[in-house]
Amino acid sequence: MPGKVFRAAVIGLGRMGSTFDDEITRGGQFFMPYCHGPTYVASPHTDLVAGADPHAEQGEIFADRWGLERGQIYADYREMLEAERPDFVSLCTTARHRAAIMIDAINAGVKAIWAEKPFTLSLAEADEVLELGTRKGVAIAVNCSRRYNVFFNQARRMVDEGELGEILQITAYTQCNLSHNGSHAIDAMRYLVGGDVEWVFGEMESDEKAAGEEDLMGNGYLAFDNGARGFIRGTHTGAAPWEFDLIGTEGRVRNLAQGMETQYYRWVPGGLRNQGLPARAPFPLPTHIPSSGLSVIEDLVDCIETGRQPRCSGQDGRKALEIAIAMRESHRQGGRRVDLPLADRSLRILSSEILSDAVPARVRRMQSK
Amino acid sequence: MYRAAVIGLGRMGSTFDDEIQQGGTIFLPYCHAPSYVASPHTELVAGADLHAEQGAIFAERWGLSAQHIYSSYRDMLAAERPDFVSICTTARHRAAIMKDAIEAGVKAIWAEKPITLSLAEADDVIDLGARNGVAIAVNCSRRYSPFLSEARRMAQQGELGELLQITAYTECYISHNGSHAIDTMRYLVDGDVNWVFGEMESDEEAAGDEDLRGNGYLAFDNGVRGYIRAMSTGTAPWEFDLIGTEGRVRSLANGTDTQYYRWVPGGLRDEGLPARAPFPLPLSIQGTGLSVIADLVNAVETGSDPHCSAEDGRKALEIAIALRESHRRGGRRVDLPVDDRSLRILSVEIGGDTVPARVRRLRQEPVVA
Repeated sequence: MPGKVFRAAVIGLGRMGSTFDDEITRGGQFFMPYCHGPTYVASPHTDLVAGADPHAEQGEIFADRWGLERGQIYADYREMLEAERPDFVSLCTTARHRAAIMIDAINAGVKAIWAEKPFTLSLAEADEVLELGTRKGVAIAVNCSRRYNVFFNQARRMVDEGELGEILQITAYTQCNLSHNGSHAIDAMRYLVGGDVEWVFGEMESDEKAAGEEDLMGNGYLAFDNGARGFIRGTHTGAAPWEFDLIGTEGRVRNLAQGMETQYYRWVPGGLRNQGLPARAPFPLPTHIPSSGLSVIEDLVDCIETGRQPRCSGQDGRKALEIAIAMRESHRQGGRRVDLPLADRSLRILSSEILSDAVPARVRRMQSK
Repeated sequence: MYRAAVIGLGRMGSTFDDEIQQGGTIFLPYCHAPSYVASPHTELVAGADLHAEQGAIFAERWGLSAQHIYSSYRDMLAAERPDFVSICTTARHRAAIMKDAIEAGVKAIWAEKPITLSLAEADDVIDLGARNGVAIAVNCSRRYSPFLSEARRMAQQGELGELLQITAYTECYISHNGSHAIDTMRYLVDGDVNWVFGEMESDEEAAGDEDLRGNGYLAFDNGVRGYIRAMSTGTAPWEFDLIGTEGRVRSLANGTDTQYYRWVPGGLRDEGLPARAPFPLPLSIQGTGLSVIADLVNAVETGSDPHCSAEDGRKALEIAIALRESHRRGGRRVDLPVDDRSLRILSVEIGGDTVPARVRRLRQEPVVA
C-alpha cells in the first residue's frame, strides 16, 4: 500500500468526469473503474477532494454520487485549484478549454494531470502545454485508454518481446471523427506498433470537410519509422466496428468488435507447399486483469515518483492530433504524402465533442426530458 | 467440341496441378492442359514450345503424338486451326502471340496473367480481339473460385449491405501475382478504380521497369475504398477482407479458409455486433479450369465477356502501374486511366525466361528414377 495519498480533483463534472461507468454493462474495451470520479474514489493512491464545473446541476450530481460536501464543489476551477491545492487534477471539460485549464493547473502547482482526449484543438496549444508541463515537471497523461487496456498491453508486450516477429502492418477499422475518437484510434496504432509516424497519406470524407476546421471522418496510410505500415479507416466501417489488426512475421493479434474479442495467431508448420500457416492460439492473459482507471493512476503515481513519462503522455496526445491534422493536410494538398512534424502549428481540428458545448450534453439531456 | 491448343508447355500449360495437394485457392483441374483434357467442351489437339524438352513431357503426359507438338506456334496455328488457344509462355511474348492467334482465326484465348507488359500492348490486343470477335479470358483464377464468386453474389444481392471496404494482404510483385490481387479486389467490389495512392518498396525499384512490391490505397467509383499490402505480409498470407454495412466475407490463408460475418442485434449498448455465420456454399463446385472453359464457351456462343476479360487484365495492370506512378511522383494520388500508354512493368516471371523454369530445374536436379 502506498505511503502517500494524493489529493485529487475533477474539472468538468459531466459524463467522463463522473458517471460514464454507469453506462457500461460489459468489459473488454475497458474494465471498471474507468472514468475519473469513480477511479479516484477507488484508488488507494488518491482521495477525491473536489470538483469544479460552471453548471450547478453537474456539481450537485457529482457531490451526491461521490459523497462530497457542497463546499467541495466549485463553479470556478481556478478557485478550486487555489482553495484545494490538489496533487492530481482530471480535465474532463469540453476540449475547447482544455489547453487553458491545463496551463492554469500546471501554474497552480499540481503534480499530475489526467486529461481527456483529444489533448488540445491546435498544435500550438499542445506545444505550449507540453513546454510548460515539462518545465514545471508535471506528469501529464492523456486518457487514450487503450494504452491502459490489458489486451492491448499484452499485444504490446508480445511485440516488445519479439513474439510476433518483425512488425509489418497495423490496420484500424475505427469509424470516428479524426480528432475526437480518432485520437484513440491513432494512438492505439502508434502504441501497438511501437514506432513513430514519419509521413501520411489521407483522404477525407469530402473536399468541403477537408477545407474546414470541423472534426471529420477520413482514411489514411501511415508510414512508421520502424518500417511498419498502417492503414486506418475512420469512415464508416459497417460490420467491422472498432478493430485493430497487428501483423508480424511470426504472429498476429486482432482486437475485434469494439474490444470485446482479442485473437492471437501464430505461424506454425504446415499449409500449402509446407510454407507454414497461421493457426489461432489462445490469447495469453496476465495473472490479473487491472482496471483501466486504476492503471492510469498507478502510472501517474510512478511518474511523479520517478520523473518518467506516462504510458500515454502529453506527447502521445500531441502526436495523435498531429497525425490527424497531417491526414487532413494530405487531402487539402490534392492527395499527397505529408511529412511529420508539421511546420504550421496554427493548424487545428475542432473536435466534434465541442459542438454545442455551451450546455453540457448531460444537462441538455436532462432539460429535454 | 472445340479444338484446343496450348502455347508454352511449361508449368502452367501442363503440370502445375501436380504440385497442388489441397483445395481452396483452386480446385482441380486448374491449369490449361488438364482442363482441356477433362472438359466435355474441348479436345486437346496440339502444343507449341520452343524448347523440345517441354514438348516431349507435354506429349507424353497428355497423350499427344509427336507431330502435334510444334516448336513454332505460328506453324501450329496454321496447321491445327485451333478454336481455343492457351497462352502460357513468358509474359514477354504474350502480346505478340495473342495478336498472331487472333489473326489466325481462333475463337477464344485463355491467357496467363499478367495480360501484357505495357499498357500499349494491352490496348493493341484488346482492340484487335474486339474487331475480330475473339473471346479473351485472363487467368486471374479467383474470379472462378466458388468462394469468391459466392462472396460477389452476396455483395450483388445486397446480403452484405452497402459495400465499404476491401482489404488485401497479398505479398507479391504487383504485376506478377499482383494481377491476381488487384483483379480480385475489383471483382469483389464490383466497381472500377478512379484513383490510387501507392508506396513502392524503394525509390530505386519505383524508378525502374522491373516488377516490384508495394502498398496502395484504391478509390472505387462506387464509394468503396481499398487497401492493398503487397509488401511482405508475414502471418497474413493472401487474405481478402470485404466489409459491408450488413455483412463481411474474409478469405484467409491463401484461400484455404473463408469466413462470413453478419450484423446481428446485441453488443455494447445494443448497437449490434458482427456474428460469424456459416459461409454459404454453391450447389456444386467444379475444377477452376473447367469453369474458365465453360465461361469461354458461353462467351464464344453468346458474345458475352468472360468473367475475367482482357479488359479486366488491362485494368489490373493499369492499377499496378498507377500505384508505381504515385510513388514516382513523390507520393501523390494518380487518376485513372493512365495517359502514358508506354508505361510497363517487366513482370517478375520474365526474369531468366530464355530457358523455361522447368527446364532450368531439370538441368540442375538429377532425375530420380
